[in-house]
Amino acid sequence: MQPKLNTLEDLKQFRESLASLEAKVTTAINICSGTGCQASGSVKVIEALKAALDAQGLTDTVKLRTTGCHGFCEQGPIMVIDPANILYCRISPEDVSEIVCQTIQKNQVIERLLYTDPVSGKKITKEADIPFYRAQDRVLLSQNRKIDPCSIEDYIAIGGYSALSKVLNGMTAEQVILEIKDSGLRGRGGGGYPTGRKWQQCRQAAGDEKFVICNADEGDPGAYMDRSVLEGNPHSVLEGMLIGSFAIGAEQGYIYVRKEYPLAVVHARKAIEQAHQFGLLGENILGSNLSFDVQLARGAGAFVCGESTALMSSVEGKVGEPRPKDVHTVQDGLWHKPTCLNNVETWANVPMIINRGAAWFASKGTKNSKGTKIFALTGRIKNTGLVEVAMGTLLRTIVYDIGGGPYDGAAIKAVQTGGPSGGCLPAEKFDLPVDFETLTEAGSMVGSGGMVVMDERTCMVDVARYFLEFLLDESCGKCVPCRLGISRMLEMVTDITKGRGRPEQLQLLEELAETLTETSLCALGKTAPNPVLSTLRYFRPEYQAHIQEKSCPAGVCRALIQYNIDPDTCTGCGACLKACPHRAVTGQTKNPHQINQDLCNKCGICKDVCRFEAISVT
Amino acid sequence: MPEEITMQEYVTLTIDGTKIRASRGSSVLDAALEYGICIPHLCHYPGLSDIGACRLCIVENIVGGKARVTASCTLKVAEDMVIRTYTERIKRLRRNIAELLVASAPNSRAIQDVAVRCGVTKVRYPFRNDNCALCGRCVRVCAEMWQAKAIGFVGRGKDRHVDFPFGRKPDFCKNCNTCIDICPMTITPCPGPMRPGEEYLCSACEGQLLMADSLPGSCVWCELGKGFQCTRQVQAR
Amino acid sequence: MSEKILETILEDRRSQPQQLIEVLQDVQEAYGYISEEAMTTVSKELGVPVIEVYRVASFYKAFSLTPRGRHLITVCMGTACHVRGAPRMLDEVRGQLGIEPGQTTPDKMFTLERVNCLGACALGPIVVLDGRYHRNMTPNKLRKLVQSLRTAEKPAPSTGSGQALSVVEGEVAVDAA
Repeated sequence: MQPKLNTLEDLKQFRESLASLEAKVTTAINICSGTGCQASGSVKVIEALKAALDAQGLTDTVKLRTTGCHGFCEQGPIMVIDPANILYCRISPEDVSEIVCQTIQKNQVIERLLYTDPVSGKKITKEADIPFYRAQDRVLLSQNRKIDPCSIEDYIAIGGYSALSKVLNGMTAEQVILEIKDSGLRGRGGGGYPTGRKWQQCRQAAGDEKFVICNADEGDPGAYMDRSVLEGNPHSVLEGMLIGSFAIGAEQGYIYVRKEYPLAVVHARKAIEQAHQFGLLGENILGSNLSFDVQLARGAGAFVCGESTALMSSVEGKVGEPRPKDVHTVQDGLWHKPTCLNNVETWANVPMIINRGAAWFASKGTKNSKGTKIFALTGRIKNTGLVEVAMGTLLRTIVYDIGGGPYDGAAIKAVQTGGPSGGCLPAEKFDLPVDFETLTEAGSMVGSGGMVVMDERTCMVDVARYFLEFLLDESCGKCVPCRLGISRMLEMVTDITKGRGRPEQLQLLEELAETLTETSLCALGKTAPNPVLSTLRYFRPEYQAHIQEKSCPAGVCRALIQYNIDPDTCTGCGACLKACPHRAVTGQTKNPHQINQDLCNKCGICKDVCRFEAISVT
Repeated sequence: MPEEITMQEYVTLTIDGTKIRASRGSSVLDAALEYGICIPHLCHYPGLSDIGACRLCIVENIVGGKARVTASCTLKVAEDMVIRTYTERIKRLRRNIAELLVASAPNSRAIQDVAVRCGVTKVRYPFRNDNCALCGRCVRVCAEMWQAKAIGFVGRGKDRHVDFPFGRKPDFCKNCNTCIDICPMTITPCPGPMRPGEEYLCSACEGQLLMADSLPGSCVWCELGKGFQCTRQVQAR
Repeated sequence: MSEKILETILEDRRSQPQQLIEVLQDVQEAYGYISEEAMTTVSKELGVPVIEVYRVASFYKAFSLTPRGRHLITVCMGTACHVRGAPRMLDEVRGQLGIEPGQTTPDKMFTLERVNCLGACALGPIVVLDGRYHRNMTPNKLRKLVQSLRTAEKPAPSTGSGQALSVVEGEVAVDAA
């Protein structure tokens, strides 16, 4: 049982002892066990690896480490073998014995397990050479690759808690706040509020009991950066909160994790437990005056609880209804006490800033958006996954250089950023740098970092409808503009997708949008019109096609399309008949089949299963 | 520097160009109504807490040269605050909110009168007979005045509604029926209840609005206020 | 027997209103839904008015006020999954089982829920079946999965999305302690 680290010197010596242990290891296998790779079957691969290493007597010299999310989810299960830096992807349990035999024991590379660059067609051996990674600046995400999130030792070995040591070794609270201010760090959850300023306001607020909160509610659909950081590197968040609590004068912290992230909940709990064991949480941390403890609070399925005041209500055991923001939460927050709430990624950036300096962080990015940001790049592109780049990187670079371009030939039409509070930017705008002000001016926002790529087969009116439906579902329902306003906007956009749209509805949508933005009680209602407004701004022709011609150019809106089987091409194989969930296909074997339009629900499943391209949509 | 906490009882703020004196801790809406400044409202009811749900009481709060739109019932008065209650923008936003309300709950004289008071002349959405404006007066009066807590808001978003626990009247309900008395929906429109599919915007008392508009921002003791149980009318009773 | 579980859940939490959500989470996991009895007991023991307990239980989507089917099918409807065809999963279930999201089949075997993003966006469409994550789903794969569950009926009741995170090819016992 590890004795507590009672002083800064204890921590330093412990870290040195870990380094000498590490020196005995000749090879390290870092295999991803984040939620994504687990869904791809990494667990069985890990079991097979353990067994194989055991059988070969290699457990002393080969370190098998299960890490958190690397961010290259499409290629999972992924492993990186160091020091050779060989990356194998899409591994199955059957590959394991060969990996141990050839690569671990004989240093031979197995070609078929290497990553193939979709653009050049070549196989790439080293992780560092993969274009997806090379174009990024993975200062935060790279840590995930090196540590087992359930091992505080791993975190300490790579320098974890050294920032805390630096702070406790003679920095004042004001100095810490100044460092964060000078770095230019802005909230990574979507608000983009200057973090240093928030800390200062909270510190200056009247009251002797203060709280710090980590917002891990990450409700934006399509965003999972926070999940990976909390799942894969929970101690970075704890260290950030410790430094924050020192600067602000708080003794109690909460991490609010959404229920849909069970692995993040488990890893965060484990990290807190281990931090306690090592004396890094509790009273007189590392022999200083700092006392700080963290509790986990679980969400219960409410997107609105990502809003700070709703989150605090939820921690208090109540419904997640936002409160008026005339008085800020830094003065009147959790239980009406001064509270500093920051996003997971914001907290995780703090230790790096303290260690490497504000100037280092500020050297990256643009004038008003400093540092790096993690984005979740998903949708209709080749390389999907987590991408960390300096602020100011062009959208084009992210979509084409890192994302690898279109998924299967269909031209990329737009990128949706900022989740339901954000908007869609068309391909013409891809030369924009990604930074807070630029994207907001263009009608979208950086938001929490979700980036969904859409191509010609995505209907932008349907996208607007999708987000409105989401927000109506998630609205707390308290205030009129949000509850009734979103409902009426959805009613109108749905009309348009069903061919019942009228030209004056576009104007009414814009007018209603202003009402929601100006009068809603919280940011959910205030930003709800953004997807509609941005699609109206850049894709108005699609709306007009739906209204005037009653047609959906992308072939998505079910009321405006029709599926037909070409009797000349149809072989009568019956695949569509079997697959149709609405029993709308009829026909006899070897004879051309027909679709009964009265029963057809336009889901398109038949077209997907047809091997002869006999089904078309008009 | 030692912080002096001045326990001032009153603050001076400016509403629509008029300097008024209000008790510290009171809301901008309360202060305005006391001084005869008209700010339409629905979920605010004298004696009950304010929740800021209907958003009809919005005003412009001028901070640092910028006009922030905010609900006056949840905004506490502060020294040197500058408020405007009937700018063109506020009138337009308030009208749109009232339009949303009457489109969803037309079957009430109170809601119809609120809509006319806020300048709604046409309803551009299909009518729905939701029969509840979710103003929460009933919930608050049950909890705060009668201390019974026999009803409350349940559900979320479009499914939000007022109900008893588990949908059944509990034995600790005091049967005071104040919830019915205070509810704006129980006041039927003057020509009688509207049948589904036959809803319309009443506007019979539109003349009252014209009278109110001739003295912008001031209370004229209009019939419309009687209709939606405006605070000044309730307190005058 | 079932009262004992509730007892354990309430231990150390009596008279602490702020524990309401945590308590309800545990009740949901233990019983598969939140019954009137449970809400009444929780109200008394935590010191929260019963209307408030009912309010919280009905506000959060993680809580079900009606018993769920033995198998829970959760379809992710996040943006990334949506553009990759997630709505078709709902079509498939509608066609195969005749239920919409939030409903349970008459034989109490399946409950369909939709969830707004599980955070596995690169691998969408995602369907979670009894706590196991299935990636890159197609309507066909879903039909086969449902059919296989039908033929191999498991007697143990489903406890919702739960804490156990298991995968298509194997089981992972996530340490919930």
